[in-house]
Amino acid sequence: MRRLFLALILSIISFGIFAQDDLMNIINQDSTREINYTTATFKSTRVMNGHSIERMVPGQLDVRISHRFGTLNSGGYNFFGLDQSNIHLGLEYGIFKWLMIGVGRSEFEKTYDGFAKFSILRQSSGAKVMPVSVSVVTAIALKTLKFTDQTRTNYFTSRLAYVTQILVARKINEALSVQLTPSYLHRNLVATELDPNDIYALGAGARLKLSKRISLNGEYYYIANPKTYMSQQIYNPLSLGFDIETGGHVFQLFFTNSLGMTEKQFIGATTGQWKKGDIHFGFNISRVFTLKKNKKPSNY
Amino acid sequence: MKRLLISLACFGVFLIFFVSCYYDNEEALYPTLTNTCDTTNVTYSVTIAPILSNNCTVCHSGSAASGGISLTSYSSVQTVASSGLLINALTGSGVPIMPISGALSACKVTQVRIWIKAGMLNN
Repeated sequence: MRRLFLALILSIISFGIFAQDDLMNIINQDSTREINYTTATFKSTRVMNGHSIERMVPGQLDVRISHRFGTLNSGGYNFFGLDQSNIHLGLEYGIFKWLMIGVGRSEFEKTYDGFAKFSILRQSSGAKVMPVSVSVVTAIALKTLKFTDQTRTNYFTSRLAYVTQILVARKINEALSVQLTPSYLHRNLVATELDPNDIYALGAGARLKLSKRISLNGEYYYIANPKTYMSQQIYNPLSLGFDIETGGHVFQLFFTNSLGMTEKQFIGATTGQWKKGDIHFGFNISRVFTLKKNKKPSNY
Repeated sequence: MKRLLISLACFGVFLIFFVSCYYDNEEALYPTLTNTCDTTNVTYSVTIAPILSNNCTVCHSGSAASGGISLTSYSSVQTVASSGLLINALTGSGVPIMPISGALSACKVTQVRIWIKAGMLNN
């Protein structure tokens, strides 16, 4: 009887031997406590027309010159669109690790725009696993083209449009990154009763790295509003092209069916269709200057 | 704490602009002006020239006129119209649709067609 009791106690005690496995786990945890944040999901702060999850390092200024030529179907006389040009100049600056702001001016409708991009989550592995990076972009566009009808009362607020986007991106591997961009565009003044002041769109962007310096990018925005009764027929913008990175420059060369370069223009006013040949060749040039050197090494 | 304050400040800045958030459209905002379109008695001075000065000469005027096309004088308008480029631009056939900020109403394009068909007179 006593032996049985002793055997029972010993077998209960034997459960405590599992603590040795726990010790091994603790040792393993120490070595993987580092959080590996994903870097370089895209080569630049734009996928092509729209924002990418990338943001500026604090203290760095990005000078961006964007150019869209005319359409390829305008014929040889117009040199397949190269005679017509639409330019956007922009300056973007990183204030904090999680905040980036930018200002710009576009030739299309003489639009000034400004935006702020907040980084909410960063994709990471290791001690803390986060499957995606998430950022929020808020932008305002101000159209300064003179009102065509000067005899009526024109309001300043009629020139404004607002954009909010949530960027959700994942770097799948060294070569492939994808991004989803649900977007909301609001325009204060539209032409007719049937034109929507609010436009909802879902953007999708992807980049496939072909070599260390070159990547193939694609971007498509699906506009969820019914497009049947709009006074100006708009289509979903699709852009395809390459990113070439050389030293401090990133060159983005691509073909797109949208003439505008800010969200208000390429989401709300893309009047060209790929199947009709309304394809614009365009490029973005980005050059990064370091204005303030970081005292701490950054996690980029 | 600092991050929270700055986020609130930025949000506040954008909120100021969002206070001026309107749901306007031109048809409702300017009802009388958008409904006048008379396709009888179409003349250059009364019908065509105001359409051009209200929608086109913003870009198509002066020495640096867009595309090299000036639409401020009758002779330049008549040249552009007789080559067919004016109607092509207003309907977006083969060239970007004009005005670039938003096409003219079908009625106004019809008025231009009527003027061209009647011989593009300087009346």
